[in-house]
Amino acid sequence: MKQPAVIELAILQGKMLARNVSFWSVSLLIAGLSMLVFGYLFKPDARPFSLAVIDEDATQTSQSLTAAFEGVENVTVSTRSRGEEMQRFQDGKLGAVVILPHGFEAGLTHGQTPVEAYFDASDPVRASLAQTTVAGVIEKFNQQAIPDRAGAVIDSRSQGTKHVRFIDFLTPGMVGMTIMWTNLVVGALMITWREQGILRRLGTTPLRPSTLIAAQAISFASISIVQSAIVLGMGALLFGVELHGSLVFLSITVFLGIMAMLGIGYAISSFTRTTPSAHAVGQLVAFPMMFLGRSYFPMDPPGFMRPVVNAIPLSHLNDALREVVNYGGGFGDIGVHWLFLLAWAAAGFIASSLLFRWQ
Amino acid sequence: MSHVVTFDRARRQSPIALALSVLISLSVTFRNQMVRAVSGVRSAAARGSSAAAPEAAALATTKREPERLHEGDPVLALDSVVKRYGALVAVNAVSIEVNRGEIFGILGPNGAGKTTTLEMIEGLRAPDDGCITILGMPAQRQRRRIQQLIGVQLQSQTLWQELTVEETLRAFRTLFKNRVSVETLLDRFALREKRRSLVGGLSGGQKQRLALACAVVNDPELILLDEPTTGLDPQARLVFWDLILDMKADGKTIVLTTHYMEEAAQLCDRVAVMDKARIIAMGTPRELVRELEFDNTIECLFDGDIDQESLLALPEVTGLREQADGSHFIFTKDVARSMAALIGLAEHKGATIANLQVRSATLEDVFISFTGRRLRD
Repeated sequence: MKQPAVIELAILQGKMLARNVSFWSVSLLIAGLSMLVFGYLFKPDARPFSLAVIDEDATQTSQSLTAAFEGVENVTVSTRSRGEEMQRFQDGKLGAVVILPHGFEAGLTHGQTPVEAYFDASDPVRASLAQTTVAGVIEKFNQQAIPDRAGAVIDSRSQGTKHVRFIDFLTPGMVGMTIMWTNLVVGALMITWREQGILRRLGTTPLRPSTLIAAQAISFASISIVQSAIVLGMGALLFGVELHGSLVFLSITVFLGIMAMLGIGYAISSFTRTTPSAHAVGQLVAFPMMFLGRSYFPMDPPGFMRPVVNAIPLSHLNDALREVVNYGGGFGDIGVHWLFLLAWAAAGFIASSLLFRWQ
Repeated sequence: MSHVVTFDRARRQSPIALALSVLISLSVTFRNQMVRAVSGVRSAAARGSSAAAPEAAALATTKREPERLHEGDPVLALDSVVKRYGALVAVNAVSIEVNRGEIFGILGPNGAGKTTTLEMIEGLRAPDDGCITILGMPAQRQRRRIQQLIGVQLQSQTLWQELTVEETLRAFRTLFKNRVSVETLLDRFALREKRRSLVGGLSGGQKQRLALACAVVNDPELILLDEPTTGLDPQARLVFWDLILDMKADGKTIVLTTHYMEEAAQLCDRVAVMDKARIIAMGTPRELVRELEFDNTIECLFDGDIDQESLLALPEVTGLREQADGSHFIFTKDVARSMAALIGLAEHKGATIANLQVRSATLEDVFISFTGRRLRD
């Protein structure tokens, strides 16, 4: 029975890649270690901090919300006067100040009532931790204390109420990073084949470059998909990282990310001549991408860097992955990122097919 | 309520986007299938006969006579082929005709232009001038059809280290319409015990046999081998020669390059001797040697001064070449008479003979008599 050449070649290419253990294990190990380190050891989310609750309403409802804050682990709650607490906040001694204003209880009976909250932005990790904590407490309070009403709303002074832990943020970034590392390797692979004369040998056969590239893309994509599943599975099993969005959108995002990185990998192979230089160029591309592309840390680049960061395919891959995984984003949120990834993939593949040479 | 900002925009998934991406990928797949189908039909029609015999059970069984090739036509013809790299002429007006069932050798030192010549036949390089006809088809225009019908082994061929022997054969096999079964190849090239071994762990001889097996996965009419035995130990070289002779017995046509004089003499039916981009002699090894004016070569190094005129004046000597190291090749029709006179001459001149070798004329002498140099320096 005859199998199409592209399938048979993809399977054999997949075997070659699978047997090259360091190829697929290193990026996976980096991702796994990063998640373990930030999920268990450093736990930026679990750092204890102080929080002041100023109860100006002094009703039963406001007191029960105050009590809810006092029950949170790793949080020291103080309830002094407003002036005193604001002074401590200015001195940087508090991660957040929550103010339950006059008429808090009365407001709840009408629907919504605002809660004022201040977060100390000078320590971003503590600030995001405090934001998450305050938002979490209020959400829980809403559900338990007043399930039939709309509930308390945090005032606009406090932004970023997304309930995202650092590990939630990190996991999609690790998926993006793994996709990048794995697929950029195709560039070095092509150079090695060219150096060893394997491409020259294939050039004497009826094999078309498009068939070869399609077969390689299929096998790299398969490995990348398995790696992504492992990273996401590890996040889910060890750290309870949830997939809020649809699996279909996640798959499309992963697929487009793979294609964009493969495109860049092939482009690298068109512009470099030796395997060491392909590796060097690959790392020169990959390391800045990894950090500027927000795989590890949220980053707000300074103005002049913004166009660069916004052009990086990994930024779009990570943003799209986070939209899907963390926020359950839809096409409206990730469509732009998809377009960017598609453009990178198209540019890379077109450039490399124009510049393709067997030797 | 604190989630409200993010969940609000969450569930507007667009089915259009999904449909679009599926459509794109489907259309790409469809286009590729169409291209494959059309080209398959085209070449099957052009070939006329047995495209419907995909699995060739044995190397010899399939008959795929291209219609343009008539009985007695050369399988391969090069007509005044030229290849230049900038100012350097790598191949200069080379004309060769290779007949069906022949083992044709291109003999010459490194850098003579053998590999470039072969690469033009293989389609890896385009000639700057002249024309190449393979199996009756113009090589440039019918490259895709020709690629189906030739087998190639490149110089110091590297294969995928991470694949097993069997997988390597499968990888090459899948590229062709006509495919010899893997089992046949494993038996034929004595690789059955190694079928599950990775290529990286094979011996030199085994790698060589695998490379040769890869060259015949499509049961080719014409097999092109670039320095196939370079770097092999003598034992592996003998095994390799046997395999080549088996292929010849199957009616295959084989063109190989070599810088081993013995290989050309023993294996090849006809030889083209190549040097500095040109073919300097062509014929059967026996003819080439017989055409020399001499039967033996005396190679000697004198410890003392002996002028060339007196050497040339020795009886039965037909020619003389001086080497860079000061030793001489003396070509003679009668080795006994020349030798006796040579010893007398040395005594007379007060010189001693530091080194002396006598041998019957070989292809190497053909090369030396044309160029003044050895094949391998």
